[in-house]
Amino acid sequence: MKLLDMTRKYGNATYNYPFEPYKVPEGFRGKPAYDYEKCIGCTACAVACPSNAINVKLNEDKSKLVWEFNCARCIFCGRCDEVCPTNAVLLSDEFEMAVRFDKDNLKERGELDVECCQKCKNPFTTSKLISYDIERLKKAGWDEATLAEKTKYIRTCPECKKNIAVENSTQYFVRKRK
Amino acid sequence: MKKGDNFINKVKEKITVHDIERQTEDQVTITVDRNDLPEAVRMLYYDMGGWLSNMIPNDERQLNGNFALYYVISMEGGKMTPEDELPQEQKCWITVKTYIPANDPTFPSVTCKVPAAVWYEREAFDMFGLKAVGLPDPRRLVLSDDWPEGLHPLRKDAMDYRHRPDAVDHQDEPDYKFLEPSGSGVVDVPLGPLHITSDEPGHFRLYCDGDTIIDADFRLFYQHRGMEKLAENRMNYDQMGYLAERVCGICGYAHAIACIEAAERAVGIEVPLRAQAMRVICLEIERLHSHLLNIGLACEVTGNINAFMHIFRIREFTMELAQLVTGGRKTYGNVVMGGLRRDMSSAEIKKSLDLLVTIEQQLIEVWDAVMDDKAQVGRWKGVGILDRQVARDFSPVGPNVRGSGFARDSRHDHPYDFIDQLEFNVAVENGCDVYSRENVRYKELLESISIIRQCFEMMPGGQTIIKPQTMIKPGAFAIGNDEAPRGENVHWIMHGNAQKVYRWRCRAATYNNWSSLRYQFRGNTIADAALIVCSLDPCYSCTERVTVVDINSQKSKVLTHKDLKRYSQTLKNHPLKNM
Repeated sequence: MKLLDMTRKYGNATYNYPFEPYKVPEGFRGKPAYDYEKCIGCTACAVACPSNAINVKLNEDKSKLVWEFNCARCIFCGRCDEVCPTNAVLLSDEFEMAVRFDKDNLKERGELDVECCQKCKNPFTTSKLISYDIERLKKAGWDEATLAEKTKYIRTCPECKKNIAVENSTQYFVRKRK
Repeated sequence: MKKGDNFINKVKEKITVHDIERQTEDQVTITVDRNDLPEAVRMLYYDMGGWLSNMIPNDERQLNGNFALYYVISMEGGKMTPEDELPQEQKCWITVKTYIPANDPTFPSVTCKVPAAVWYEREAFDMFGLKAVGLPDPRRLVLSDDWPEGLHPLRKDAMDYRHRPDAVDHQDEPDYKFLEPSGSGVVDVPLGPLHITSDEPGHFRLYCDGDTIIDADFRLFYQHRGMEKLAENRMNYDQMGYLAERVCGICGYAHAIACIEAAERAVGIEVPLRAQAMRVICLEIERLHSHLLNIGLACEVTGNINAFMHIFRIREFTMELAQLVTGGRKTYGNVVMGGLRRDMSSAEIKKSLDLLVTIEQQLIEVWDAVMDDKAQVGRWKGVGILDRQVARDFSPVGPNVRGSGFARDSRHDHPYDFIDQLEFNVAVENGCDVYSRENVRYKELLESISIIRQCFEMMPGGQTIIKPQTMIKPGAFAIGNDEAPRGENVHWIMHGNAQKVYRWRCRAATYNNWSSLRYQFRGNTIADAALIVCSLDPCYSCTERVTVVDINSQKSKVLTHKDLKRYSQTLKNHPLKNM
């Protein structure tokens, strides 16, 4: 009987969800929201993601860098949010993620323009990442000359940069021997 | 004289100890000959007041050409009487290690001397092919019945973790040999494959004489996920915590903490105080919602749906509390090596304190009402007795053993993190029955609330995470322990190369509780079977049917989940009437 009295005392304990929205507290870790405009394609999120929900890969004809997020794999840990330098990935309040029939609807994609290497013409990073880098370097307060020196190889892929470095140093050795 | 030396000296008197290694201040490993193993474990277990906490078989052929076994014994005193407990400064972990040559993978069984080792040794054969000679019950434990003979998955050279052996057709699947009592008039009641209270897979077979259960046997591990293999091959330390958190759907956080702390202790990482306090808070929040779930289910399985609903109403507050301080209702996902990823703000702490007041007030109110209900208490009292000697032999943990008058609590015996600075009582009841176990849970709920409050009050400042130094030492190993809602979780980690684990042994609390369950069933009625399993708060990933076998007529009948549940709730229309 006591229990029944209690029921009267506390009244309705449930929400009228889904007919009224369920409010989550501040700091709730929901589905990561992706902002395409801010994303620079640095792949930090893909490296940090413990469950491989985020993948960043070149597409088949190597013309675009594809950022892909598979919500079905996501464990809502928020590592991506933590590491993103431009806040392009932020955890949202969203928790309703059911899809009907097609699990591919859980995927989210963003295609970014790629930058090809000045030397070998192979794609190696995104254009946005390079402009982001230049932007940041400009903020360091260097004069034009230093800046030009610093960004000399910015449009060269790591492989070519390595080759250039090797060539340069061999010249140095050869000269020394003379 | 360091912790544990007195015990080791006593062992040395009778047994040659080859090597003594100290992992942390309270963790020592001694190496003995494999023929001396049973005696060494027995001495530590019965003569000096140890409890078997874990046993780790390990394939160390790459390291030293041998297999190795580690029997982890928690030295805390026999606790059969209140005086029979070691002083706090002597409590420690002693690991008995032995090497097994690769060309002769056998060892003398410890089970004959210490029954608690039975499940561990069965698993050692399944996973590593290490044969315990003289093991009374050498049936399969972990691997499914159609798994090929001779393929031991955790051996390093056995298989790739992605490999799946060919499935066997349903009709060709070999039958599991259940232990069957002989005699006339025994009815066999299979209970499974889904359990009534927790809807997880496990197959129970109850042998009944009339309505009374005279013996029971069970088959579990229908959901073995091979997490240990996965961790060894693929996961790095950034991912390990999240994987460990998914061991259990209720007490996952306790697994994450135990796993990460094992890794931290092996290389001596000290976590900032603030992170320690927050780890304790999250563990206690988990205990709040887990115990409320179990008390609720213990009411529901006996037909008291009203109480169940009220308890779940309160449980919702605890979920909100978790959401508030961690950002997630269940998986908190904030443990990493070196600390915690998410800090708590003072606004959150203030709101949490308000929520705690509500929880405490309403909890006491509902519990008093449940205790007033004579019918409810009547269904709990005297049911599922866990005999004290059985408990001593099988090393059960958590509320299960505390309901039988043993003050075994990992927070008290092997304080971790911030716990040693807090004041709390170990909840103990002496009834040995379901009623005592539920009472222990209720008392613990109140203790947990007090622990969370103390943590919030004493909350140290500073950072919550340090960079875990890149000083993973391959070969270093240690134990990580914590008190999960169901009892002590003991994880064991050996570091490997390339930021990966060499071996991760995850021992969930319920693993130690299963082997004594058989004795708890005896002498009870079928209607109470579900309640007894529920009082253990089992954590197996539970069961739709129960087979009942009549010893008199040797007939058996499969009860569905609904039949049995309806019978345990109403006690009307006996399911075996028409046999």
